[in-house]
Amino acid sequence: MILGVAFTEEAVIGLLVAAVQFATLLYLAALGETISEKAGVLNLGVEGMMATGAAVGFIAGVETGSPWLGLIAGSAAGMVLSMLHAFTSVGLGADQVVSGLALTFLGLGFADFIGDGYTDDERRARFADVEIPGLDDIPYVGEILFRHSPVTYLAVISGIAAWFILNRTAAGLGLRAVGETASTADAAGHSVLRLRFVAVGVGGAFAGASGAYLTTYLVGSWSQNLTAGRGWIAVALVIFGAWRPGRVAIGALLFGFTLALKSRLVIFEIDFSPRLLDMAPYLLTIVVLVLISYRARNRPSPAPAAIGIPYRREER
Amino acid sequence: MKKLVLVRRDTPTRGGQPAAFLAGLVFALLVGALLLLVTGDPVFDVYQRMWERSLGSTDTWSSTFNRAVPLALAGLAVSIAATMGLWNIGAEGQILFGATAATLVGRLFPDAPGPVLIILMLLAAAIGGALWALGPGLARAEIGVSEIITTLMLTEVAIRLITYLEQGPWKDPDGFGFPNVTARPEQAELGDLWDRTHIGVLIALAVIGGFGWFLNRSVWGYELRIAGSSAKTATYAGISMRRKVLGVMLLSGAVAGFAGGIELTGTAVRLNTQISNGYGFAGIIVAALALMRPSGVPFVALAFGAVQVGGQSIQTSLGVSPAVATILQALILFGAIGAAVFSNYRVQAVERQVVTA
Repeated sequence: MILGVAFTEEAVIGLLVAAVQFATLLYLAALGETISEKAGVLNLGVEGMMATGAAVGFIAGVETGSPWLGLIAGSAAGMVLSMLHAFTSVGLGADQVVSGLALTFLGLGFADFIGDGYTDDERRARFADVEIPGLDDIPYVGEILFRHSPVTYLAVISGIAAWFILNRTAAGLGLRAVGETASTADAAGHSVLRLRFVAVGVGGAFAGASGAYLTTYLVGSWSQNLTAGRGWIAVALVIFGAWRPGRVAIGALLFGFTLALKSRLVIFEIDFSPRLLDMAPYLLTIVVLVLISYRARNRPSPAPAAIGIPYRREER
Repeated sequence: MKKLVLVRRDTPTRGGQPAAFLAGLVFALLVGALLLLVTGDPVFDVYQRMWERSLGSTDTWSSTFNRAVPLALAGLAVSIAATMGLWNIGAEGQILFGATAATLVGRLFPDAPGPVLIILMLLAAAIGGALWALGPGLARAEIGVSEIITTLMLTEVAIRLITYLEQGPWKDPDGFGFPNVTARPEQAELGDLWDRTHIGVLIALAVIGGFGWFLNRSVWGYELRIAGSSAKTATYAGISMRRKVLGVMLLSGAVAGFAGGIELTGTAVRLNTQISNGYGFAGIIVAALALMRPSGVPFVALAFGAVQVGGQSIQTSLGVSPAVATILQALILFGAIGAAVFSNYRVQAVERQVVTA
């Protein structure tokens, strides 16, 4: 007991495990958004795609009895939704902010609509933890890092793959070029529209997967407003991570820790209103964004230059 | 082989925006019908009920008008921010905090005469809303932090603040243990104009008209229009962009907060997280459909009020998820922004070009 707080070893490890679990949730969505923004398309529909992924993922999971099918269905639902955004903002060149917000409303509404009858569903299709043989025996580290749902490992692999594709392949170079100066990329023979559609679709699939992870693992059930603004934290994480998969991962761990801390208060026997600590992740997001912007105020922005600018070849 | 491309029109088609709105409405009703068919709900009955309970008779107009009030104010708040190219996505939080500030006044002066109390509460609401926008405004003006994220995060904070107040310091001692904030003083209630339509309708129209007048007639408004159209020109003319950005955010927040005050004195009895009912978010749709122009805001707000009121009624009477209303609103926006493109562009079929380097 330190300062009247029960910092048992077990509780601290539990907190760190939960931090990784929450980080997985944020990272999946933020990684998808990074890819989309790298191609020059801001998609503010993350929260909506996440909610729909959560509802569809839960329904598909309990109806088929397989969390894997839930994850795939949630991910597909996110991708389908994102195509609406791609059609209006990339295809037609409508304002990306408005179109993305419309997607958030649509996704939240759709999730409530189809999830209506599943609110008190007792059924579960939940991922079991997978221990990585050999590594899970390492004292402390094994317990914290190597006993998680398969989704966490998938998120790590996705992050590495995204980094590799973006930075070490021709397709990745094209994607980044499209996000910096679309006309130059076009002249170099890249199909701007196709790359942007693909990037938005991948982003949607990741956001949907993040939502499905909520209902097939983290929470395990469906209820209204389950996403609780975490999709927006994921959008903020992209800025925090300077549009780089690795730095976004660090941000996800930091914010994941804050979310976990709140959920673990009881265990630490801290006498503090959980409602007030509930605000912490959101306030932290603001503080971190302010600090980052303040530090970077005299440097060129790491944001892809073409974010928000529709491309029409005829008007080049 | 031919493909379709968008070609810019020499002049945008006239009446493009109302046409786009109608196109969006039709698109929304069609997709909505499809959804209802899939779930096996009676499509025709649902739409008929929505119409009847929102605009179908004079009795129901009150609900629609009252609902349009916060939507219009929220829409105005968002469009004020948009004059400077800012996105006040967090009007929802400002509405909530505005209502919180108004509640505080009600708790401080429970015995003040009605008119005095109402004026004080509305003032407090506007100040509260402005305070909630102060941080994002400063961060944006001074160091360029995206106001989209900061205003949104503060919405989440406002929700949790109210939940905390409900369970703790402001908990109703007569609430039988339920987490509820004590009701506002009874005399702090806006009177009715006709039926159940409260005076807030007039107040909202006055605020919108007043802002339009202010924008067109005052020096501040003139400078704002310059700054909004070109930062370069504004800087050259000696207008401080930083001060304009901050001022606009504060004004936007004040209008949103004011909406929270109107809700508290108009239709709600006590503060809770439902008092804003998504008005802040719907306000973004309203503003976008009104092309960010205050003059269009009341009309779009009325249409949205009808969709929301109608959407609520189908839950109680037909057992259909009220989320249908949210979906319809989102689809109207999608359809309208898609259709609006065609007032500036036309579709043309052209021969596919063979790319030659």
